[in-house]
Amino acid sequence: MVEVLQQIINGIAIGGVYVLIALGLTTVFGILGIAHFAHGSVSMFGGYLTFFFVTSWGFPLLLAILVALVVGLLLGVLIELLAYRPVRNANHINAFIVALGLTMMVEGLNLEFFGHEQVVIPTNLSRVFEVGGVTVPELRLYVIIAAALLILAMTLFVEKTKTGQAIRAVAENRDAAILMGVNVNTIPMVVFAISTALGVCAGVMVGSLFAIAPGIGEGLVVKGFAVLILGGLGSIPGAVVGGLVLGITEALAAGFISSAYKDVIAFVVMITVLLFRPQGLMGKS
Amino acid sequence: MTLNRTVLFYATALVGFILLPQLIAVKYYLHLSILALIWVIAAQGQNLIQGYTGYVSIVQAGFMGIGAYSTALMGIHFNLPVWLTIMLAPLITAFFALLTGYPSLRVKGHYFAIVTLAFNMVIFIVLMNFHQLTQGEAGITDIPKPGAEGGLFDWSQRETYYYFVLIIAVLMTGFAALIVRSRIGQTLVAIRQNEDLVGAVGIAAWKYKLFAFVISAMFGGLAGAIYAHYQSFINPEIFGVAQSLDAILAVIVGGSGTIAGPIIGAFFVVFLPEYLRFADSFRLILYGLVLVLATIFMPRGIVGLTTDLLARREQRKLGQRRK
Repeated sequence: MVEVLQQIINGIAIGGVYVLIALGLTTVFGILGIAHFAHGSVSMFGGYLTFFFVTSWGFPLLLAILVALVVGLLLGVLIELLAYRPVRNANHINAFIVALGLTMMVEGLNLEFFGHEQVVIPTNLSRVFEVGGVTVPELRLYVIIAAALLILAMTLFVEKTKTGQAIRAVAENRDAAILMGVNVNTIPMVVFAISTALGVCAGVMVGSLFAIAPGIGEGLVVKGFAVLILGGLGSIPGAVVGGLVLGITEALAAGFISSAYKDVIAFVVMITVLLFRPQGLMGKS
Repeated sequence: MTLNRTVLFYATALVGFILLPQLIAVKYYLHLSILALIWVIAAQGQNLIQGYTGYVSIVQAGFMGIGAYSTALMGIHFNLPVWLTIMLAPLITAFFALLTGYPSLRVKGHYFAIVTLAFNMVIFIVLMNFHQLTQGEAGITDIPKPGAEGGLFDWSQRETYYYFVLIIAVLMTGFAALIVRSRIGQTLVAIRQNEDLVGAVGIAAWKYKLFAFVISAMFGGLAGAIYAHYQSFINPEIFGVAQSLDAILAVIVGGSGTIAGPIIGAFFVVFLPEYLRFADSFRLILYGLVLVLATIFMPRGIVGLTTDLLARREQRKLGQRRK
């Protein structure tokens, strides 16, 4: 039982990262109908950047994250302006191909700047808490708390602020939003900036919990989409539930069945859910 | 394209393909041409589900892997003749496609794409980790050539293999054209254009979608099987998601929903990375950039662009005559 609890805690930490990735994806998808496949690689770029600032320039961790976040915001805006805006009115598949091209470019840039060695963002958080036989490393606990705070902040932003309201309006009905005076040219930029910033946070978490290496970003974005499929598109609670289900399934599978096949098991769960609830766990039919 | 021009195009292309080995001085380019022809088969399959039915599947390389490993393993473990295992491989692939297509076709659009992508990852992970069967990353070596030594054809020659693959690629392209022109093909296009309407007139769209998915997988399985015997070595590396993306690119860049598109696109995805070798480590970045620019400025692919240009010229001619 302790062992199960232990794996569930691990799963919540991984799941939190998935939720952050999924939140970035779902807002982009909701507004623009784009499956932003490059999101994982962009997130890894954020992780690499943080690593670089800490190890090469000697920045304290929080400052490094902050600078990486700012760069992430700008990168998000650039991606929207240069890559996705030109195909806004074309077939959705074209935007997807652009996303694939972007993924290659960002992966290539990551390789060029940071090499193909795997890197771990150094943190001094090495304490381990123990509660009733379950060990919780300090770092993992902070990751969970940070993820929870970010999810809360994102929810409040979308639900309570004027900009959040505009984002929801554009997602609901673009034409009506234009008539109501929403500037539909700036909203996509805001969305990309926020989504990339969330991605950078996820990248830092992956980089400090596990490691960053070429190819990790692509795996991560697929997990992000799997979370959306599991949870149901366009709902923040759906993404949270989907992310936790996926993360915990994966951790339990790795702990009790096979770590080589943990992804297979996670995908089988996703496909089983699809068979019975094509609209996802929390989606409306 | 008008009918005459289409016939002319395919006739010229065919003659060109037949003469190609004589025109190529560098053996390496013949090797690339064989790979490109194998990709033509895979891309024609991809085009059926992606270009005609409008469902972007990201598992074509995974299906190629299933075909490749099926033919190799059957040959090695059961000692079956190569021509038989090459024919059985697409059937085995079809079985897996049926199994995976049913749940994944319950969702649409990007969802479908992601679910199939997950399947590709599953196939890749199994090929990597099921050592007893697939020998993992090390892969399977010494896969037999199609004919015995001293037989009718000299399989040690690249040319022999080139013509063998050319014949199959032509046949499969013809098969794809037949499907597209049939009533089934019309229904597939109708599904792409308006799936709700197809349902509303009483056609069970899911059957047609499943058909397109399974057939497209069979094309992939066949391409993979031919690849395995050509290289006589396979490992999971070339059956990953990245290669499935190449199949999608071949269709998009060539011209999705056209028969000529995948042919052009397949050569594009095989030869372009080779030409980008000069860029060395910037290759991936450049390849991505080409893709993004091509999609923005040439959204209907090379075939779409050419027909547009031809049509414009035609109209200009007409305009001049009227003056």
